[in-house]
Amino acid sequence: MSASDSTSLKRLYGPRVQALAAALDSGDDSGFLSTLDDVLRTRKPELLEDLRDVTVNLKGALERFRLDARLADFAEREMPDARQRLAHVIKMTDQAAHRTLDLVEQSGPPAERTAKAAESLGASWTKFRARQIQTREFHELLKLMDKFLPAARADCELIRRNLGEVLLTQAYQDLSGQILRGVIALVHELESALAELARLSDAAPASEAPAGGQVSHGYGPAVPGVGDGGDVAIGQQDVDALLSGLGI
Amino acid sequence: MSKTLKFLVVDDFSTMRRIVKNLLNDLGYQNVVEADDGNTALPILQQGDIDCLITDWNMPGMHGLELLKAVRSDAKLAKLPVLMLTAEAKREQIVEAAQAGVSGYVIKPFTAEILKEKLEKILGVAVGPSVAKSA
Repeated sequence: MSASDSTSLKRLYGPRVQALAAALDSGDDSGFLSTLDDVLRTRKPELLEDLRDVTVNLKGALERFRLDARLADFAEREMPDARQRLAHVIKMTDQAAHRTLDLVEQSGPPAERTAKAAESLGASWTKFRARQIQTREFHELLKLMDKFLPAARADCELIRRNLGEVLLTQAYQDLSGQILRGVIALVHELESALAELARLSDAAPASEAPAGGQVSHGYGPAVPGVGDGGDVAIGQQDVDALLSGLGI
Repeated sequence: MSKTLKFLVVDDFSTMRRIVKNLLNDLGYQNVVEADDGNTALPILQQGDIDCLITDWNMPGMHGLELLKAVRSDAKLAKLPVLMLTAEAKREQIVEAAQAGVSGYVIKPFTAEILKEKLEKILGVAVGPSVAKSA
């Protein structure tokens, strides 16, 4: 407490304390109580002010505590969880892509087989339709047709089954979409918590992080609406024009 | 002659390697080997029997630009046709790849037709049948 505070207290409370002491000595109960009420009335606004400060500090401390607890939860539990979920999305999409590729690769040979068999029948069939086919060739055509029809049916059935499975394999999109939405929500929450933390610590907004070395290492696929899109070549035509300008 | 060319496809994602390999097969090139980054690609290239390198840019380990620079600084590989097949689409990156000596640059997602067109350009030969798939 400074000397000026002490002087001001003496000035404010000195006469009242003396009056209190005098009233107590003389047995003046009502005078004592009335002076005491007066002292309390004088002190009340200051008490309220102090109480308000204490409350604000306590609120800030509680907020910080709540935020610290939330950030600790993010760091210890939710971020590792999110990492695992994202890794799972990569695994799921990888599996689905490979399964789709397997099915497409399996469907190529039967499609090609059917096309070739149909092509080999074509010449004899044309002659038959033009009534120019010889008996021996007609019997050959019948034999080929006997083989072709069930084989084509089996091959087409296989392709149809594979296409059906390709369709089902796309179900990963639903699951990965749900997981990604969950992670987006978490990132959003983390963003709010960090902004709140910055507010509580009165931190000034940071300047933009330097992007040194990123050009060489790569940015990853351009995402619409993310980052500085002005510098991104829009499509292959832009790339071609740019390279052509550089003599490539 | 061109169908005997040997390709090296470098991408950290095995699905993309498979897609490119399938497209090359469709174009008539059956001789395709794979690597998942520059570090595994370089020893394959140094064996000396690769005719065309198709590489991604963004890969863990040695990325595509480093691989391109390593290729261009190796006297035996300096003239190897290198096609960059990547999602990296910033102008400054394309310029950097051009300065490093890239032969062609295709951005993902791409079509089989674009791959065919760029291969024809960098290899200087007519390339396989036209295919309608896209990757």
